[in-house]
Order: sequence, then structure tokens, then C-alpha cells
Amino acid sequence: MKQLFNQSDAVNKLLERYGVKFGIYKNGTFKEQLFPFDSIPRVIEKEEFDYLERGLIQRVTALNRFLADIYGEKNIVKDGVIPEEFIFSSSGYMAECEGALPPKAIYSHISGIDLVQAKDKTWYVLEDNLRVPSGASYPMIARNLCRRASPSTFHDIPVADNRNYAALLKEVMDYVNTGGINVILTPGRYNAAYFEHSFLAEKTGSILATGQELIVEDDYLYYIGCNDEKQKVGAVYRRISDEYLDPMNFCADSVIGVPHLYSAFKKGNVALLNAPGNGIADDKGIYYFVPKMIEYYLNEKSILNNAPTYLPFYEEDKKYVLENFDNLVIKDVAEAGGYGVVFGKDLEGQKKEDFINLVKSEPRRFIAQEVIDFIDIDIMENGERVPRKADLRAFVLTGKEVKVWKSGLTRFSRNPDSFVVNSSQGGGFKDTWVLLR
Amino acid sequence: MGIIALEKASGLYWLGRYNERVYTTLREFFVGYDRMIDESEDSYKELCSMLDIPDVYGSKMEFINKYPFDEKNVDSIISNLTRTYDNAMVMRDVIGTETISYVELALSCMKAARYSEAPLLELQEVIDYILAFWGYVDDSIDDRQIRSIIKAGRRIERLDLYLRFERPVSMLEREFAKLKSRMELTGLSYDKTVISYLEQAITENKINYSEAILKLENIVKL
Repeated sequence: MKQLFNQSDAVNKLLERYGVKFGIYKNGTFKEQLFPFDSIPRVIEKEEFDYLERGLIQRVTALNRFLADIYGEKNIVKDGVIPEEFIFSSSGYMAECEGALPPKAIYSHISGIDLVQAKDKTWYVLEDNLRVPSGASYPMIARNLCRRASPSTFHDIPVADNRNYAALLKEVMDYVNTGGINVILTPGRYNAAYFEHSFLAEKTGSILATGQELIVEDDYLYYIGCNDEKQKVGAVYRRISDEYLDPMNFCADSVIGVPHLYSAFKKGNVALLNAPGNGIADDKGIYYFVPKMIEYYLNEKSILNNAPTYLPFYEEDKKYVLENFDNLVIKDVAEAGGYGVVFGKDLEGQKKEDFINLVKSEPRRFIAQEVIDFIDIDIMENGERVPRKADLRAFVLTGKEVKVWKSGLTRFSRNPDSFVVNSSQGGGFKDTWVLLR
Repeated sequence: MGIIALEKASGLYWLGRYNERVYTTLREFFVGYDRMIDESEDSYKELCSMLDIPDVYGSKMEFINKYPFDEKNVDSIISNLTRTYDNAMVMRDVIGTETISYVELALSCMKAARYSEAPLLELQEVIDYILAFWGYVDDSIDDRQIRSIIKAGRRIERLDLYLRFERPVSMLEREFAKLKSRMELTGLSYDKTVISYLEQAITENKINYSEAILKLENIVKL
């Protein structure tokens, strides 16, 4: 294994060669950055992963049931489990999606569930990402290179092969496909995750297309050839946000979507992965209710823990948040990617007072969580092992069955004093090993 | 692979053209550089004129230092290589990560060469990566139409540059023959009268160079 750790630089060089980058806008300028890889893996024991797998399947199954319910009967609201204020005022709720049933009734085909492990080894779910979660391609390509860097490591240690992610994704696309080719719809090369879009298209054998290459005619979606020939599209793994997907149905200013795409979807003529409207289920406010959701839909206790969370929306919780402000992390439910996250202890004076007033005046906009002192994982820095905070994004794929990818994206903070691991905030990534025995 | 979208066809075509532009201009630069060692201060101007690029260089040394490496100059070799990269990276699903990696390598090598004590020696590696790219195109892309569109771009650019350099007719004949057979395999609509025009002009050795270049530039509308 030491042989592998010593090859971080060589593996990073190869990752650069293969274009493993992400885009970032700084001062209005687009730049491509390497996503730094550390070759010390996160290792998850078999029993531990079995537990996570059960919990993740349970969670995503309930979230899919929730989405079907919210855009259908709304029983969970009628039965008073979730207050309606948390549904209809959410920016993730899309009234346009009412009554639209996706092919095979699956809403979240690719779910990215963010977890951390506390120092007492308890796992906590921090976020559910059910819109366009990204990141699976990075450990997949890194594993390939690590196996080259140290074949004996992988011969000696029984690690589940994670290079099957594209095959799992293709299986899901094929399952929901309504007849036609599979397409990955990208906003274009200036998107932060463009590498992943193009890499997954290559590995799943899908067409990578921009909105300009697709057309809807008579409620069917087609890919247009350079000589005006057309090919029917049956499934679209879209990497475009809901609001930009279709200018005729959502944001009229969108130039990256496909006019009338949503109409084709509503008629059942094309599958969209993930389905539009999923934002309601990964709203940070709704996160609080997921364990209740699991009990409501599945009649089971939640296997995975949420981080202890408070909703200032409830008076009792608001009181607790204000009294314990310095010990909590407060998150703006409308933000993502590590933005809108405030540690109470970091605020002072007028800034603190202003922020508290904001929480008081817009309680629905925030959630507060206990700060989990999650475990450090070593990284190699200048030839030495140093501990850094790391989280795990697990990927759950829902097709004929619900499957958890036996790996995940482990992101780490490169700053020793930071809990923020997002790539957009300078973090790096590791491979995630799931042991087979 | 099925059908190819216009945006993809255009990307493949320009990938071939820019890649070839880098290759041929780099080789021409090597030859010109060697001559400049012995010739007058103004000798670089001839190369600018042949390449039809504005002479924004104040001296032979400035040309030598800037023509390959100046990222702010749209006519520099590195700018053309960046365009190759821009077109390559949006073709990952069509030509594959491994094929693209040779463009990545060429570009990072080009950037590094700028700071080398002997840039020309380092630039040889750029040429090697470009040739490896073409080798990988042949070796790994099974779809003949995709291969042909990239190669048509390459052939058009090569003939275009050879016309600009007023290369001997025997060389033009060879490049034209490759272009003619390649165009038929692209599946693209193109102006066949340009093929007839070039065939006659080159065979009869009655070449109006500027007219031939103009026609060649417009053979495909993408």
C-alpha cells in the first residue's frame, strides 16, 4: 500500500493528462482547475458498508415515494407529517410538475447522499442531493490509475471494483428509456462539471448533446444530425437545472435547454433523469423530515441518522438556535456547494447581530445543525501524512432495483482548520474503498 | 455511432484543421528558425507573409520568442493548439479520453517549452504528441465517418498551408489526392466544384494560389 501512497504525484499527473478537471468562475473569468487527488483511500469495512447500503436504499426509496406523493396526492401533508409551508414555499417545489408521472414512476434515479462519520464512528447524513449530483467519475478514473500505480495493493486487499459506475448508470438509463437513444444533456463546456458529463457519455456509450442538438417534434424528442436526419431519444440524463431545461415551460430566458422537452416528458415519450421537481426533496428544510418520511411511507425506523437539526420555523427550535447560536452551523436552504454555510462561532459584533435578525425575520430560510466533529482522514502533504476533514458522497442508483455504488466520492479539506470540503472551495478528493470481506 | 450532429461535425472538422495547423506551422517554424540564424534581421517577415499573419513583431528575436508561445496573439502556434484543445475536449464521447489525452499532453508540453533553455528541443515533443494523436485516431476510432471528418479537416489544412507556402506541384498533387478520397467518406455536404477546380489547376500546373486558397477555405460550410 505504501507504494500506492508514494505515487500521488504520478497519479495526479495522469489525471491531468486525462483532463480530470472542474471549471470555476473567478472574477467573471472561467478557469479550469485540477481536482487534487490524494492516494490514501477512505476504507469502509464490509459490515459498515452493509449498514450504509441498507440505510441509503431505505432513504432513497422513501424520498422517491415522497416525490411521487408531493406531485400527486400529497398525503404526507394532509396527514400533518410535514407542514405545507415547507412544501409550497420551497424554491425546489415546481407547480408545473403536478400530476406528471415519470416513466416507471422513478423521480430520483441518481441520488448523491452526503455523509460524515463522527469520531465515535456514527455516520450522519448531511444532505440529500437529488437534482444533478456530480462526482462519481472522479473516483472511477482515479481507481483505474491507482491499480496501475500499485497492482499488488489491489491484489492483496479485497476492494470492491468501482469502475462499474458507468455500467450501473447505463442500466438505469436503459430501464427507463421509452424507446430511442440515451443522451447526456450538458449546458456546455463552461459548466463546472463538464469533464464528468463528457466522461460519463463516453463510458455509458451515450450521446453528449447540448440543447441546440435536440429538437421536440409532435411531443417526441430527437437528436438532429448534420444532414438534418433525426434519431429518437428515449432517455436524457440531464445535467442542467430544472429551471433551464425547457424555455417554453420553465425559465423563458434559457438558451441551454430544449423547447418543449418537458411536454415530451409529461406525455411519457422521454425519460428525464433525474425528474424535474426533485428540488423539493433535497431542500435543506425538508431534510429535517426525512426520518419522519421513512416512518410514514415505509413504516420503518430510519437506519441512518440525520445530523441533529433545528428548524427556526418552529418556535421551540428557534429559541434553542438563538440560545446556542455559537455552537451551531446555520445553513441557508437555498444555497449549495458549500455556500450559505455559517458557523455561529465565526460571527462577531454587528455581523452576528444582523445574521441573527435575518434568522428571526426569515426562519423558513434557515436550518441549524449541531457541529459534528467528524473524523479526520490522512492525506499526503509534502511527503508527510497529515489529518484533514473529509466527507463522503454516496451514490444510489434507482432503476429496476435500488443499488448503492460500492464506492463514493470522498472529499477533503486542504485547509487544516476547515470543515468545508467542496471542490469549489479548494478541496481535494480520495478514492473510497469498500472491502469485500 | 449513428448520426452526427452539426455541432459535433464542426468540432471534429476544426479539431483536424487546428491540429494540422500546429503541426505544419511548427515544422515550418523549425526550418525558418534555422535559416534565421544565418540570415538578415528581416528574414522572419517572409514567413509571416506566407502564413498570412500580421507582422506584429519588431525583430527576428521577438518573432522567435513570441510566434510559438504568445497566448495573447490569436495567430501564435499556442493559440492554435489551444483551439485544438477546445475542440477536442468537447468530443470526448466521440473520440475518447485516451485520444484527447495526446492533445492535453501537447498543450502542457508547449506551455512548459516556453520556459525551457532550449525551446526548440522541447517543441519536438509537441510534434511527437500530435503524431501520437493521429496514430490513436486510427487505432481507436472505429467509426469511419468520424475518422474521416477529422482527417478531412487535416487534409484541407495541409493543402491550404502547402498552397500558401507554394510547395512543388508533386507535393500538392499528393495532398490533393488524399483530400479528394477523404472528402467522399465524410458524409458531409461539400462543394464538389472546388475538387474539380483544384484537380485541374494542380494537374495542369496552372495554379492561382490566392484563388485556390479561397476556394479551399469554403469547400465545407460548418
